[in-house]
Amino acid sequence: MGEVARGGCCPPMDLFRSEPMQLVQLIIPIESAHRTVSYLGDLALLQFKDLNADKSPFQRTYATQIKRCGEMARRLRFFKEQMLRAGVLPKYSTTPIGVNIDDLEVKLTEIESELTEMNANGEKLQRSHNELVEYKLVLQKAGEFFHTAQSRALEQQREYESRQLSGESMETPLLQDQELLGDTKQVKLGFLAGLVPREKSMVFERILFRATRGNVFLRQATVEEPVIDPVSGDKTEKNVFVVFYAGEKAKAKILKICDAFGANRYPFAEELGKQAQMIREVSGRLVELKTTIDAGLVHRDNLLNSIGAQFEQWDALVRKEKSINHTLNMLSLDVTKKCLVAEGWSPVFATKQIQDALQRAALDSNSQVNAIFQVLHTRELPPTYFRTNKFTSSYQGIIDSYGVAKYQEANPTVYTVVTFPFLFAVMFGDWGHGICLLLAALYFIIREKKLSSQKLDDITEMTFGGRYVILLMALFSIYTGFIYNEFFSVPFEIFGPSAYECRDLSCRDATTVGLIKVRDTYPFGVDPVWHGTRSELPFLNSLKMKMSILLGVAQMNLGIIMSYFNAKFFRNCVNVWFQFIPQMIFLNSLFGYLSLLIIVKWCTGSQADLYHILIYMFLSPTDDLGENQLFVGQKNLQLVLLLLAFVSVPWMLIPKPFILKKQHEARHGVESYTPLENTDESLQVESNHDSHGHEEFEFSEVFVHQLIHTIEFVLGAVSNTASYLRLWALSLAHSELSSVFYEKVLMMAWGYNNVIILIVGLIVFIFATVGVLLVMETLSAFLHALRLHWVEFQNKFYEGDGYKFHPFSFSLQDDEE
Amino acid sequence: MGFSVTTLIFVGIGIVASLCTRICFNRGPSANLFHLTLVLTATICCWMMWAIVYLAQMKPLIVPILSEGE
Repeated sequence: MGEVARGGCCPPMDLFRSEPMQLVQLIIPIESAHRTVSYLGDLALLQFKDLNADKSPFQRTYATQIKRCGEMARRLRFFKEQMLRAGVLPKYSTTPIGVNIDDLEVKLTEIESELTEMNANGEKLQRSHNELVEYKLVLQKAGEFFHTAQSRALEQQREYESRQLSGESMETPLLQDQELLGDTKQVKLGFLAGLVPREKSMVFERILFRATRGNVFLRQATVEEPVIDPVSGDKTEKNVFVVFYAGEKAKAKILKICDAFGANRYPFAEELGKQAQMIREVSGRLVELKTTIDAGLVHRDNLLNSIGAQFEQWDALVRKEKSINHTLNMLSLDVTKKCLVAEGWSPVFATKQIQDALQRAALDSNSQVNAIFQVLHTRELPPTYFRTNKFTSSYQGIIDSYGVAKYQEANPTVYTVVTFPFLFAVMFGDWGHGICLLLAALYFIIREKKLSSQKLDDITEMTFGGRYVILLMALFSIYTGFIYNEFFSVPFEIFGPSAYECRDLSCRDATTVGLIKVRDTYPFGVDPVWHGTRSELPFLNSLKMKMSILLGVAQMNLGIIMSYFNAKFFRNCVNVWFQFIPQMIFLNSLFGYLSLLIIVKWCTGSQADLYHILIYMFLSPTDDLGENQLFVGQKNLQLVLLLLAFVSVPWMLIPKPFILKKQHEARHGVESYTPLENTDESLQVESNHDSHGHEEFEFSEVFVHQLIHTIEFVLGAVSNTASYLRLWALSLAHSELSSVFYEKVLMMAWGYNNVIILIVGLIVFIFATVGVLLVMETLSAFLHALRLHWVEFQNKFYEGDGYKFHPFSFSLQDDEE
Repeated sequence: MGFSVTTLIFVGIGIVASLCTRICFNRGPSANLFHLTLVLTATICCWMMWAIVYLAQMKPLIVPILSEGE
């Protein structure tokens, strides 16, 4: 295990190893348990273990308290809903309230009943108010029908009388008298008045007509303003109707139809005098009701406002209480029922803080006895805890999303902080684009405080979370942009004149044979003269391809060296001798040698074909190299390297399983004879935790495992090196795309000598640059850099099978819900 | 400027940067070691990239051939 005194020459590096953890046991008197857990939650440095995992939530000690908290949370949700509906916003204040949870419960219950009663009353009042409004409408509209009908009747009568006065003419029907007589005999017509929703009015009319076989007379008038339906409470457009019918049977039918259509009927008097009186009465009652409702609403608003002022605090208090009780439920009750026993992981550095918190809790709750703090020894693997800050946390997040480091395993983050943005920038080398990215990152960093308190949408939040990653990505892109000498794909002669000139004054063969190097090499980055030449692509391809291999081999070597640190830290000599060393030899005898050849070729300017050399190193190692020889003794060196590579494969494969077997046998031999050292403690621990030491040693399994590892490494050495060529491919794509946008859009638009075309060209260029290069290319380069770290770098040493330290804390609760 | 001079400049920048972080962000020995690692990794990465590009251009096998339009 990793309990090694970390002495030596240097202090332990931050973030390189996760914090040393310890399993602690707390024995807390029951009267101070609540306060203790609360203080520990404020401290947020202890991860409680669930000691009651076998019990269902209802069997646990504090189940009733949790139920109470749930009930209170429900009430608070109800208040929140009511506040939202009334448009009252909860005010955020940080003043602590001196309410304890019991008082709060009483208060919440009172407020809830008050509020529900108020709501019920308000609803009832509102309903009768709406009914009255409808009634008034019916009175008005139907009144109009009757009024017009009556005036028309009067008119007709007057006409009739005048006609009679003028004497009987030829046209007077002979049966007129009888008709008039018949009229008086007719049964008295009944009628109903009410409101029907407008969209149903046509159907309503048709059904009425059919049901009564046409023996009805329906009048409808539209109500201009939508009215609130008393039953549903929704605003609907309605028609006032009056239906005249004859006979009780018809009435019963009409009533049924009205019910089916949701048409509300209202009593209506035929005489005008009564109508006027009704309208007066209804108006009076409406005014009364309105004032009552308004008063009720004001009262309710006041109540909601007073809730809103304290809502956040109550909410926080209830959440806190709930989480405390949840935690208390994880503790096991002592046999005497006077103490609670807690177990949990905490970082070693927090020991003093935890003890302080325990003491304070005991003091504040006037407990007779202090809580007992003791460290347990266990074989269980502790959780992984890195103390990150706002800068390193996003990088640690990149690693964690691959896998959480095993306890105290070497953490790749210490290198990833630099190598990740660097490899990104190799693919994204353009200092113009880098500056754009830098501005975006700086915007997020400057407005950090404001943005962190706001709720952002998904994509913005992700960008905001990775702002420091983007910052370094941008800075490295600016650097690699200078190296590639590209500013939106345009080169500049910043670091002096180009090293190349024409061969003679006439410059005749500049387009056929090419320029000649006359000065020293361009001091920093790619010579600007290459841009736009016919040999640009062959040159850049060869350069970037070789660069990818060199960077890749360097990073893979770093990965293998990290595995050495791990082996040394965990005192695992087997891994040093039978994993680290042969791996180093294998990788470097093949690809380290390739890197060496690349550099030698560059330094000597040799024409040798490196592929040929490498391929024939395997196919016919004893053949003469001929013109491909780069240095003296190359053939012998190649033979030695090849031999080493072949030897290192069985070296990796065979000895380790045998040594492990021997070690296992030796350990078992010892364990079966010596008694357990300190009996009581280890017994206690064994009973609680599964021990890891007594696993069956299955030789074939271990051997197959080692075989897989070896094959993976040997094949991986080849495929991973090839995988680094993505650096070349993506950087090529980036520079080609940006030069296409620059030349085919901006320069072409410039060529037309027309302002409008230039502006259009500029806009297209900006959108293409932002959309394709700054967003899409950033994303793809990011993903490829991620892959290079996760796969090619980390598979050399990183196990990533640990679990994260989740301390009990109040500030983290929001994430849970 | 030759290869070694610029390399020396890189070394110088690396040393100055590590001293700066040591002076400006002195947060105890383990944090300082972490900062030193960051600065050194960054310097080595930048130097490697520069050195690769410089070496590749030192003894040119291909020379720039201007395209016909120019």
